[in-house]
Amino acid sequence: MPTRRKVLAWGAAAAAAPALAGCGEKVGAARTTTATRRRPGQKVTLTFWTWVPLQKAVALWNKQNPDVRVDVQTVPANTSGGYQKMHSALTAGDPPDLAQVEYYALPEFMLVNGLTNLSEYGADELKGAYVDWQWQQGVFAGKTYAIPQASGPMGLFYRQDLFDKWDVEVPATWDEYRAAAVKIKKRGSLITAFPPANAQWFAALPWQRGARWVTTEGDTWVVDLTSPESLEVADFWDGMISDGLVSPIQDSQSAFFKGLQTGGLATWPGAQWYDALIRGNAPRTEGRWRVAELPQWERGAHASSNWGGSATAILQGSRHPVEALEFAHWLNTDPAAIDLLIAAGYGWPAARMELAGSALGKPDPFFGGQRYNEVFQLSDRNVDTSWRFAPTTTQSYAHVQDAFGRVLAGHGTLADALKDAEGKFVDDLKAKGLEARSAR
Amino acid sequence: MSTSVKPSGTAATRGRRRGRPDRKAWAFLGPFLALYLFAMVVPVFYAIYQSMLKVERNGPMGLGEPSVGFAGFENYSLALQQETFVDGFGRVLLFGLVQVPVMLLLALVLALLLDQVSHRWAGLLRATYFLPYGIPGVIATILWGFLYVPGVSPVTDVLGDLGFQPDFLGYDNVLWSIANIVVWQFAGYNMLIIVAQLKSVPQELYEAARIDGAGPWQTALHIKIPLVRPALVLTTVFSIIGTMQLFAEPLVLKKVAPAVTTDYTPNLSAYFDAFANANLYLAAAKSVILAVVAMALSFGFLSLVTRKQRSER
Repeated sequence: MPTRRKVLAWGAAAAAAPALAGCGEKVGAARTTTATRRRPGQKVTLTFWTWVPLQKAVALWNKQNPDVRVDVQTVPANTSGGYQKMHSALTAGDPPDLAQVEYYALPEFMLVNGLTNLSEYGADELKGAYVDWQWQQGVFAGKTYAIPQASGPMGLFYRQDLFDKWDVEVPATWDEYRAAAVKIKKRGSLITAFPPANAQWFAALPWQRGARWVTTEGDTWVVDLTSPESLEVADFWDGMISDGLVSPIQDSQSAFFKGLQTGGLATWPGAQWYDALIRGNAPRTEGRWRVAELPQWERGAHASSNWGGSATAILQGSRHPVEALEFAHWLNTDPAAIDLLIAAGYGWPAARMELAGSALGKPDPFFGGQRYNEVFQLSDRNVDTSWRFAPTTTQSYAHVQDAFGRVLAGHGTLADALKDAEGKFVDDLKAKGLEARSAR
Repeated sequence: MSTSVKPSGTAATRGRRRGRPDRKAWAFLGPFLALYLFAMVVPVFYAIYQSMLKVERNGPMGLGEPSVGFAGFENYSLALQQETFVDGFGRVLLFGLVQVPVMLLLALVLALLLDQVSHRWAGLLRATYFLPYGIPGVIATILWGFLYVPGVSPVTDVLGDLGFQPDFLGYDNVLWSIANIVVWQFAGYNMLIIVAQLKSVPQELYEAARIDGAGPWQTALHIKIPLVRPALVLTTVFSIIGTMQLFAEPLVLKKVAPAVTTDYTPNLSAYFDAFANANLYLAAAKSVILAVVAMALSFGFLSLVTRKQRSER
């Protein structure tokens, strides 16, 4: 019979056990990737966490590769819960083999040692099949850590029917955009929404102007949210907000979609992959939408930028990196897979391909028969690809969003908000043990 | 009411029982204690331990092999230096100061009214008031979210037609929109605790009051309310803890309300540090700070109430 003292002692020992185990605490991923040797004919299952509806492409793979089954598990999109789940799984040492990770989040996953070095498994030979700047998003210190899937070149979605009805010209410059906004407001509508809590969207605007929020200098991260280019863009939108020319609502939410359905919002400066969202959420507006180049800061220019884009990553801890890499490459380059992904609205392909031969090159009845992807093709070629993401983007862009939220509540200007966020951005990097400074 | 206990066992065995707890009692407590130890005590100590660690980075761009080092109280000072994290405490305190009294007053009034209505209706009404508690907080917030978002909500439409321009999700209002959800959800639950206490009030007291000529108002003020005091204290303590831990409602509303920042409440701040910023150590420190504050407030309130009680005697 155990005495009470013994029971208490066991209890204390049990409580101490994790503390002792903690001495071997690792940073980030608790398990490292190793390739399990596979006997010929042995079946493996790869788990794939994603929020992109790519089940059809995966079903095709599973049909063609009965030995390497891919099991898609849908997780909430990015910071709505998907990344949280991935980080937890990495820390717990039980990650999925494959995961959807956006370009901006790749440095964050690198910082927690969350990605498998794919160069060890021959990924570098695949480089030629991809658009170079998208491939470079997954390259760190000369090694490849992710297979690019798609990007999001920006364009202007607009309602041709309303523009005709109201006799508004499609704006070619931001000045014209503002003039159009004034006209549209007189008709009881608004030209677009300004989503305060979407710094990824906003960042695409100074990106187009030529700003670089993050650069590196030796080992130091340099943060520059307040360059003249960024402030010019901020001032422009400050004016739009204070004159009530834009709706201060969050994008991709019920109220926003209602605006797209009813014509309450007449345009949307969005990424190519937004086509599927408009199609899916405002189906009755079929035939009324068109796509134009993003309005320009200098007339006649073709400056563009990118919003979003993601890669297929093989998380640290996979037991089947070879098979996972094979699948990731197939998914993102096989013409049949790409056509299925395009149908699902996954974005602008990272694979080098001919637009004309793919589903992207067809005239689209939803856009009134326009070959609207020709606009995005031009946009994609004109993206300034020197934009970089810091390893604290989620956190630091949240500061931008928090500050923008205050602006829309009537406290200060977007320019002030960017100044405020810049200091916090630097602090975030320092808190992670990185060298960082403000650019000015 | 109470079942009479047969005087079993000799004086000797009873004496031993008083000396130290029975083994059988330990056997019954065992499963609970084991779970409590595993799910509460161990994680608490692990969190305290983790809160004293930090990541040390090496190599070019800090992307080399990192290691874990001892941080002492660095994470705590870092957390307390974050203005927005400290502001979060102010926000939940303000929230609690308004929301807890409103909710408990409502619960008390509902309980007293229920005590007055006939038995036939009491059951149905009690279930109706209690129903919101049965809806998970996340779902309740999604439902309320639809009522708050302009352009979708029928409420804002109707109020808009009447000439009001309510901005339920605005920077200054969203806290009270959250308070509304919490009141809606928990008033019925707290009402039930008060009702249970009211049921245990001996009928003789009411009879005596009636003989002394007390009306329903006086009975409520001088008999019922003083006698449900323990239930009010209990529900207040629960509500204080619940307020400090405010999490699901702001997290869900965040999607539609940009005014809800990542540091809106201390719990939200810790969550984003742990899972979005992958900084478990800072998150652990923030959680410990939150636990300490919640404990201080709960015990502070309890000692305030009991001291008053003692001085009254």
